[in-house]
Amino acid sequence: MIVPRRVALRSLFALAVTAFTGGALARIGAAPPSAGDPLAGGERSADGPVAFDEMYGGRHIRGMRGPSGEPVVLVDGRPLHLMRCADGGWVTPVDHYESCPTPLAATRAAVDELGPAPLSRYAAGHGGHPGGSPRGVHT
Amino acid sequence: MAYTRKNQRDLTSAERKRFVSAVLELKRTGQYDDFVRIHIDHYVADGEGKLRVAHMCPSFLPWHRRFLLEFERALRRIDPSVTVPYWDWTRDNTPAASLWSEDFMGGNGRRGDFQVMTGPFAYAGGRWTVRHGMTEQAFLSRDFGRPRDPITLPTAADVDEAMTERTYDTAPWNSTSRSGFRNRLEGWAQGQGNERFRLHNRVHRWVGGMMLGGGSVNDPVFWLHHAYVDLLWSRWQARNPSAGYLPKDPPPLGDPQYRKVAALHERMSPWNVTPAELMDHSAVYRYA
Repeated sequence: MIVPRRVALRSLFALAVTAFTGGALARIGAAPPSAGDPLAGGERSADGPVAFDEMYGGRHIRGMRGPSGEPVVLVDGRPLHLMRCADGGWVTPVDHYESCPTPLAATRAAVDELGPAPLSRYAAGHGGHPGGSPRGVHT
Repeated sequence: MAYTRKNQRDLTSAERKRFVSAVLELKRTGQYDDFVRIHIDHYVADGEGKLRVAHMCPSFLPWHRRFLLEFERALRRIDPSVTVPYWDWTRDNTPAASLWSEDFMGGNGRRGDFQVMTGPFAYAGGRWTVRHGMTEQAFLSRDFGRPRDPITLPTAADVDEAMTERTYDTAPWNSTSRSGFRNRLEGWAQGQGNERFRLHNRVHRWVGGMMLGGGSVNDPVFWLHHAYVDLLWSRWQARNPSAGYLPKDPPPLGDPQYRKVAALHERMSPWNVTPAELMDHSAVYRYA
C-alpha cells in the first residue's frame, strides 16, 4: 500500500505509453439473414430469445446468431455489440449499467436510450482488447 | 508540491471559467477526443472471457485514477492553475445545483432528443461536437433523473454504508462481488429496479444521455464525477491503511479470473502502469 514517494511520483507522472497495436478485429458477423432465415420467429435458448425481428421504439431491431453461435443484433440494420456479464445478463455500448436477462431485453433497453440518431461504428464493438485499440475495425 | 482538487461548488467564477476554457481548448486540439477513445476502447464486460482493467474489476479505481491524472496533466499544460474539481453528488443532488449552470457544465437535455442546449458544451455553441459516440449524434445529451423511470442520486448514507467495508475487493473480482469496497463504490448490486444501480453506476444513470454508455467521457461532468469517486477511494484508503489493493497476486491457472484482472503488480493498458503505482497520490494532488 505504501509506495516510496519517488516511485509514486514517477508512476503518476510517467508519460503514457499508449501502445495501441491497432490489431484488426474481425467484424461482427452481422450480415443480415435472408428472408427465409430459419431462426426468424423466435428461437429460444437458455439465454432467452436470440432470434427476433420487430419494431421497437420506432427502430427495426433484429436478433440472430453469429458464425460462432453468439447473439448478434442489428438496429435499423446497424450492428449493436452485445456484451455478456458475469451475472448472466447482457449489456450494450449504449447502456453500460443495465444488465438485461436476454439479448432482446438489452436491445430494447438500448433503443430506449438511443435518441433519434443511427448507431455509430463504435456501437458495433468496443472494448475489444485492453492490450490495444479496436481502431482497426473502424478504418 | 501537491496541488489541490476542490469541490466544484467552492470554485470562484474565475476558476470555473479557467477550467471550462482549458477543457474547450483540449477539445479544439483533438486531445479530448483521444480520452473519449481510450475509455471506449477499454470497456469490457465481465462475462466476455477477456482481460478487464477499467470496469467490473479490481483495477476500476486505479485505472480511473490514472485516467484522471492524464486528463488533468493535459489541462495543466494548457493552464497550470487548473485542477479537476469534484462533484459531491450527495450534496449537489438536483438539476438546480450550480454545477449545471450556464458558465459551467450547462443544464439538462431538452425533451425529445435530450440535447443539451445551455452552457459551453451545447452543440449550438460550436465548440463541442461529439465525434466518438455510440450513435452518430453530434450533440451532448443528458436526461437527468430519467423521468420515465425516476432515479435519484446516491445519498451520504449510501456512501457511508460503502465506507464500512474493510476489504478492498473480493473474489470473483467482478460485478458480482458481494462485498469489498471496490464493487460497493463501482455500484453493481443485486435487487430489483433502481436498487441495482449504486454509487458510481447510479450517477452515470442519473445524468443519463451520453453518460450512460461507452461515450460517457463526451460529457465533461464525467471527470467531476470520477474525481469524487477517486476522493472516496482516497478517504477509504486513509481510514483503512492496512487494507491494500486486492488481489495481491494474480488469480492462478484454474481460477475463472485467471488472466482476466490486474493484480497489484500487473500492468494496466494503455499506460502500462500497475495498481501498486497508483496507491499513493499524496505527492501529486490532494483533496480539499
